[in-house]
Amino acid sequence: MPQSQSSSIPMRQFGKHEDRISALGFGGHHLGDAEDENTAIRLVHEAVDGGVTFFDNCWEYHRGKSEEWMGKALKGLRPKVFLMTKVCTHGRDRDLAARMLEESLRRLQTDHLDLWQIHGVSFDNDPDLFIRPNGAAEALRQAKQQGKVRFVGFTGHKDPGIHLKMLATGFPFDAVQMPLNAFDAQFRSFEKQVLPELNRRGIAALGMKPLQGHGDSILKGALTAEDALRYAMSLPVATTITGMEKPEILRQNLKIAQGFQPLNPAEMDRVRQSVREYSADGRFEMYKLSLKFDNPEARLAHGFPLDEEQAEVKEMMRATENTGKPYPELKK
Amino acid sequence: MPFQWMPSRRKFLETAATLSSLSSLSAQTPSYSGQVPRRPLGKTGAQVSILGVGGYHLGSAETLDEAKRIVAMALDAGINFFDCAWDYHKGRSEEWLGAALAGKRDQAFLMTKVCTHGRDKNVAMRMLEESLRRLRTDHLDLWQIHEVIYDNDPDLIFTPNGAAEALVQAKKEGKVRFVGFTGHKDPAIHLKMLSHDFAFDTVQMPLNCMDASFRSFEEQVLPEVNRRGMAALGMKSMGGSGEMVRAGAVTAAEALSYAMSLPVAVTISGMESVGVLNQNLETARGFKPLPATAMAQLRERCRLDAADGRWELFKTTKKYDGDEGRLQHGFPDATELPA
Repeated sequence: MPQSQSSSIPMRQFGKHEDRISALGFGGHHLGDAEDENTAIRLVHEAVDGGVTFFDNCWEYHRGKSEEWMGKALKGLRPKVFLMTKVCTHGRDRDLAARMLEESLRRLQTDHLDLWQIHGVSFDNDPDLFIRPNGAAEALRQAKQQGKVRFVGFTGHKDPGIHLKMLATGFPFDAVQMPLNAFDAQFRSFEKQVLPELNRRGIAALGMKPLQGHGDSILKGALTAEDALRYAMSLPVATTITGMEKPEILRQNLKIAQGFQPLNPAEMDRVRQSVREYSADGRFEMYKLSLKFDNPEARLAHGFPLDEEQAEVKEMMRATENTGKPYPELKK
Repeated sequence: MPFQWMPSRRKFLETAATLSSLSSLSAQTPSYSGQVPRRPLGKTGAQVSILGVGGYHLGSAETLDEAKRIVAMALDAGINFFDCAWDYHKGRSEEWLGAALAGKRDQAFLMTKVCTHGRDKNVAMRMLEESLRRLRTDHLDLWQIHEVIYDNDPDLIFTPNGAAEALVQAKKEGKVRFVGFTGHKDPAIHLKMLSHDFAFDTVQMPLNCMDASFRSFEEQVLPEVNRRGMAALGMKSMGGSGEMVRAGAVTAAEALSYAMSLPVAVTISGMESVGVLNQNLETARGFKPLPATAMAQLRERCRLDAADGRWELFKTTKKYDGDEGRLQHGFPDATELPA
């Protein structure tokens, strides 16, 4: 990827479009984990000042809190950033997607998104449900036509085979998001199976989970945060999205990203080798192996049982205490 | 397992009714009397009942006496295949099965599994001695490697001094007659095991009417196992805990009939009470395989529901992955990561 040489965060081309986005992207889920709204706003401001232009979010993160806080934080800064959010149909129809878009735009305090993606394509039949008549694919087309979104894409963390099935629908995606890290390189690998295909097609590749989602591997000493992030950012991607819910994490990442030079092949190989023994059974990539990282909304839409002991489910239950309904009512 | 399936009398009645309508598609009418039929176990020369008693659920029976009743009634009905595993209920399943088979060992085809999960041959041999002691026998008819469900398990099993060598040694020492492996996760992992060209006598796998349309062992593994002359052992005919039956997608009789109609030697089913055993026996006594049209119809009916794996949680979640394997592979245990 062509990038500028300076102490600012490199800007990379967004697929085959002229837009350029920062090589480090700001993850929306973790923004909702910030201590409070003011902290969240300060984090976003500091990220923008530090050269981050790519902002990630999702309709269902923290029941809307992530989008609301980001909307407040980006007030007056909207033209400076490339704003993405995701829609959570999980197989359901186009009208639902369109209603979620309106809600996202309202929360994000903007009249358009730069990128709107299908969230959490994690189940084997999601591609079929996406492309079916009246499915979410039609909502993407319509939103683009109406000028409410500039580009469209999808994201998922489960299985390279499902990503390839989405690409095989023939839908003209501008971007595709996937987990990319040194563990992935050696286990059901998006890096090997999906990334080359995106590059071949000129679709912007967006990396996520450079620290495998929760950084377990770093806490357990398998590798350093710096190696992990450098590895992910050195791949042929437009950006690497990572969660930064605390100022010290943001600053640590900005330090790595500013003036970033990709690792050379030998260094990449060193990082891969250092985690090889932990990669083979997927122990640090549980998003590929369990429902742990599949949002409660996705599981409900697919008729999967909810495990009430899980943090994500508890959060959802808390948020719906007043209605007693597990699934959020959409405001029309 | 977090929940158990306890069929009601009403469910049984619905079940029987649906089975008759399903079978009326052909000239065949299943017989509700007689013994449970037997089939050859691959090319081993042994004959096993088409319905096998699952060892996990036997250890979930309310009391040891209930477990003994289940085993005795099963033997009377012509069932001779008994499944178990070293780690089921921390040894209780094996102990109860051993107690229930006391004096009847020669009537049973006894299987248990070894839970090395990547550890070496010596660990496997120690587990074998413990299994034999608990099961009160000097030999097993079948000893299988348990829960081959992690992508690197085949590599670890076939590493020098790995569990595969224990299978060879145990056979040589006459402690086990036949050997095999089992797993519930992914056809690709089974195929990786088979690619080592080891002389497995049996291969156990989930086989049910949902599996046919989702990451399918029936499509990908079963033909290969039969081609190699190995005996195929089916399990999880109703989803592991009867998920697909409780959801109303199929009846218990349909689910069991489908599984037993496949080219397998035995279908192992969990039966934690005499009531569940009796319900399964209604289907298994004098069982005649469903005709191809009925099989196709059932697959088609399940296809859409099967497509995301919602009723095959053993493939899509961690729910059915035992703690012993999680520990060896560095995964959180079932309390930390229940599904």
